Amino acid sequence: MGLASASTATDGMQLCIFDLRRGQNEGQELDKILFFFPADLPFSTQLSVIGLSEGLITFTRIFSPEAACEVIEAERHSHVFYEAEIDIWMVMVVEKGKDSDAIWRIDALRKVLKEVHSLFVMFYGSIRAMLEKDPSGGLIRSHLYPFIMDYLSVAISRSLYVTFLFEADFPVGKKLQLPSFRDCLKERGTVQMLTMGREAAIEVQSLVSVLDSCAGNSSCYSMILFHDLLVSTTLSPDDTINLFTYAVLRLSPNALSSGVNSWSYIRRGSTSSHFVSGSALTHSGPVSEQIYHSSDTSPVGNNINRVTRALQHGKWYKGKDGFLVTDIWGVDVGSLVCATPTVWLQQTEEAMYLCPYQFKSLTLILLIPVSSILNGEQGVALVKQQLLENASLKILKVEEKLSKGWGGENAYHVSGYRYLLVDGDRNISRASPPGKVTTLAKESLLALSKLRDEVDLEKSRAKRDNAGCEKDLEVSIRAKNNAWAIARITGGKELYMVLEKASETLLYASDAVEKFSNRLSFSLGLKKQIVKHENVKNEEEDFNTGPLSVLMMSVKNNTQVLINCRNNKKLLGRVRAFDRHCNMVLENVREMWTELPKTGKGKKKALPVNKDRFISKMFLRGDSVIIVLRNPK
Amino acid sequence: MSTSSSSPSSDEEVIFNPNPIPKPIDDELTLASLTLTESNGNGSVGESDRYGGAGVVLEAEREGEREGPSSPSSSGYAGERGSSSEGTSNSRIGDEDDDGIQEVINDHDGFVDGVGDSSPSASWVPGKRHVDEDDASISWRKRKKHFFILSHSGKPIYSRYGDEHKLAGFSATLQAIISFVENGKDRIKLVRAGKHQVVFLIKGPIYLVCISCTEEPYESLRGQLELLYGQMILILTKSINRCFEKNPKFDMTPLLGGTDVVFSSLIHSFNWNPATFLHAYTCLPLAYATRQAAGAVLQDVADSGVLFALLMCKCKVVSLVGAQKASLHPDDMLLLSNFVMSSESFRTSESFSPICLPRYNPTAFLYAYVHYFDADTYLMLLTTSSDAFYHLKDCRIRIEQVLLRSNVLSEVQRSMLEGGMRVEDLPVDPLPRSSMPHRLSQQRILTQSPEIFSESIVGIGGPTGLWHFIYRSIYLDQYVSSDFSPPISSPQQQKRLYRAYQKLYCSMHDKGIGPHKTQFRRDENYVLLCWVTQDFELYAAFDPLADKAVAIKTCNRVCQWVKDVENEIFLQGASPFSW
Repeated sequence: MGLASASTATDGMQLCIFDLRRGQNEGQELDKILFFFPADLPFSTQLSVIGLSEGLITFTRIFSPEAACEVIEAERHSHVFYEAEIDIWMVMVVEKGKDSDAIWRIDALRKVLKEVHSLFVMFYGSIRAMLEKDPSGGLIRSHLYPFIMDYLSVAISRSLYVTFLFEADFPVGKKLQLPSFRDCLKERGTVQMLTMGREAAIEVQSLVSVLDSCAGNSSCYSMILFHDLLVSTTLSPDDTINLFTYAVLRLSPNALSSGVNSWSYIRRGSTSSHFVSGSALTHSGPVSEQIYHSSDTSPVGNNINRVTRALQHGKWYKGKDGFLVTDIWGVDVGSLVCATPTVWLQQTEEAMYLCPYQFKSLTLILLIPVSSILNGEQGVALVKQQLLENASLKILKVEEKLSKGWGGENAYHVSGYRYLLVDGDRNISRASPPGKVTTLAKESLLALSKLRDEVDLEKSRAKRDNAGCEKDLEVSIRAKNNAWAIARITGGKELYMVLEKASETLLYASDAVEKFSNRLSFSLGLKKQIVKHENVKNEEEDFNTGPLSVLMMSVKNNTQVLINCRNNKKLLGRVRAFDRHCNMVLENVREMWTELPKTGKGKKKALPVNKDRFISKMFLRGDSVIIVLRNPK
Repeated sequence: MSTSSSSPSSDEEVIFNPNPIPKPIDDELTLASLTLTESNGNGSVGESDRYGGAGVVLEAEREGEREGPSSPSSSGYAGERGSSSEGTSNSRIGDEDDDGIQEVINDHDGFVDGVGDSSPSASWVPGKRHVDEDDASISWRKRKKHFFILSHSGKPIYSRYGDEHKLAGFSATLQAIISFVENGKDRIKLVRAGKHQVVFLIKGPIYLVCISCTEEPYESLRGQLELLYGQMILILTKSINRCFEKNPKFDMTPLLGGTDVVFSSLIHSFNWNPATFLHAYTCLPLAYATRQAAGAVLQDVADSGVLFALLMCKCKVVSLVGAQKASLHPDDMLLLSNFVMSSESFRTSESFSPICLPRYNPTAFLYAYVHYFDADTYLMLLTTSSDAFYHLKDCRIRIEQVLLRSNVLSEVQRSMLEGGMRVEDLPVDPLPRSSMPHRLSQQRILTQSPEIFSESIVGIGGPTGLWHFIYRSIYLDQYVSSDFSPPISSPQQQKRLYRAYQKLYCSMHDKGIGPHKTQFRRDENYVLLCWVTQDFELYAAFDPLADKAVAIKTCNRVCQWVKDVENEIFLQGASPFSW
């Protein structure tokens, strides 16, 4: 598919990667270009795009040495810049207003560039490192080209997935799906979490501990997905995002089924198309290679044939044992065993074997350090074996629990609202289901997209001015069509919302937002648990120092307390346990009270009588407590 | 002291001591009120110990400003908010010199850029500064806001900082960028890099570029470039395009010789004059009858062959009359008054000068007869014939006589001193107020009574946290802006508020999807509310903790208030616009 789409999917979009350190001399400018899409553009055009970009990078550094050019807005095009690595720039040029949907949000486009780059790094390591390995640049070019071409067609399949629900036989469009204003209720570079009940969470926890320890004493990482939602991860945030993105693109059940679909489509369409794409690549690669580098040496040329196309479509399939396998990374010809893919973790800078396992809608991704497995594929197979033995029961249980609580595609739909909630600190987002967002009017989406543009600017400003301080901002705009576009940023969380039905006042709209954000902050799974932990910690501290320390002392030292109750009785006993409401479990309690003996009419008033009784164990509800005294003895 | 005077807490301090002195008084009394202020501050406010000193100084400044006979607390004239005493003005340089750079502060710099003193012409020469710099010097690179005008062949025409000739190389770079993009059948609009924005405006053979690291949105910077271009057209007309047709390498700098002041004062006004982004003008508040009287005499003149007759006080309109079917665009008025006010020569004697109104007719010259009645008030008569000087002079004499007879000029003076609408005076009851003609003087007397004193303690600034508002009438093309009240008293804060308004304006008036109807925006500094209807636009700034419901109510009250006094604050009826 790679090249097939290349010729048709230009659509006003250009994407290039270049290295400022290369091609400094006259006549060697072509050497700068590491990647250019569309590749069939004349070199003079390619060079002029890069020349302009480079010129403006230098120009803006005059005034703003700390942050070079980010975007060029011209009447017909926007150039979006992203400095992927030092001196290695990615520039995307999009055409504006060509059709009515071509209204872009710059930040969203930049996130695309960022995603491409971090996925690339995950599979192949940094561009710079590859350039150092092969200073001629052939190696990096031969990797970048198929990778990005695959990625660009990824965008198609993702949109396919979205529309998949509606049109089962959606043809694999050649059009590139860039995030336009219609995607303003989506956030790239974040993960979507599954909300689960407590029981399920406990099951998952125990499964995770099994997974992490399955390769003996070397540390494994794991990530669990349910449908396209993240259930748990033990990776660092950055790695989580990368792997999550990849999993949703290629590994999740949805991706697999759509992959199969598109594969079969290709099969049907042109029998050899799959082959063609491969060979076309190896052809097209060298063609440009030769022009870039007339002195291209043969070893590089040979390498091209063996470049792994990590993002290739429809290459993962489910093996008999439940593990997903692919032949992208090559096949051991003798045993017909597929090579296990490896990925780089940014945090630990370690190469890991990638072992995905799938059971129904549950996808487990196990990452095993390459260094810990001595005998290659056999070792991996062994670990897999072990995993199945140890964890298959748990996997079964988790799947059962999760699918019981699963609310379907529209589980996170909140009727009346179209929203996007982003937790920037943890890179988690949740949004209205795409199917629901499409019901919004164009004006409303445009207004929100515009608003997000403004907010993006404010955010980046705040970040630059005082890095520690978080932006606190609330904007509600009533657009011409009476819809409300709302953005609200507090404490690193961003909420974007479109309210179309609220024909009411500003107060009504903001009230709705208030209600909504309260509701959502509860449903954002992980956060809650973390908060809970923190609360527990705080509570403990409070108990040791605060007013409840009286009870704490009793628990710790088994001393007596006297409790004055609202029924005017007193309890003298020892506290076994308590909470912040003063609910208590008491032991060896003497309950004491006074009574007026019943007297007949006309008789002298009787004196009150002291009474008491003994209770060995009791629960006292906190609301009846008036005073608690420590027995000083 | 300079820093503390801009800190919000010390500003709050001032509220507790609302300035009770309406009229100029002698020094002794000032001192007395100062001591009073001090004891007041320390006594009634818990926090005053920390800020007491600063509060007092600020108070002194405010008083000084009110006393200065030629320094009215005109709404929207942030630049004039400087103090009348040299000493303090110097100590505040650091605060105000926002467009300059923090690293290079010298007396000259701060003085010129920051403080528009009580009589700008005398002490503030808005000319070219930092001529010694060029694009290689670090201080030049760090300036917050550059403006360049260059020709399509890359010849520099104007630069805000630095000498044009030394910047030839730099403007060639700019020209190269523009033409490079033009080669790709496109037109560059904006480059963004970190805090910086480079905004391009291409007007035929003239290129205008702004490089700014202020937070203004692209649309406002572009609007400022448009105004800058308009200012150039006002001086030269569009016929300069023909010069470039004949000779692309034509050097325009000699044509614009000596007009640096005009440009730099325009650029300076981007900081304090809301007219620059609202595309509306503002009137000096005057009793309806007074304005009518002024309008009547101008109308007489207009009937005798004058195209436009404007009576203005600083940048505020007292009255304006146009010949039939001729309408004057607010932007033209801004540029014209800027041109007249920034040029020293107009002040000294009556003058007759060719000008061009870019919105009226960018290709033809008009002739402007300008005469100052006093330091601030001036008359402009525009005509199409080049030999009408003596006729216009006669007209002026006639007008002057009538104005003197009907006390218009003294009323103008009084209004300048008294200022305009103050948020503190926002009527608490929504009932229409009667007897508006004496509104201000009444208010001043009341302010001294203890009830009002305690009332102003309750709200910070105006009631319910209202700090400031701008009301723009769409049909009249006029706006009214409230005077600045204590929470926003330093020029620095005023500028920041204007920037916030600018942002709000741009976000409301987006080209593609605007205008929106309502916008509520809360951040660390303000709660801003904007409300656009068919008749008016209201921009209001509140204390950041203001309650939404109350803010909305307050906005309604402001609208009602403006409607009640619209005869005083707007130029009614005789509007020259064809609507």
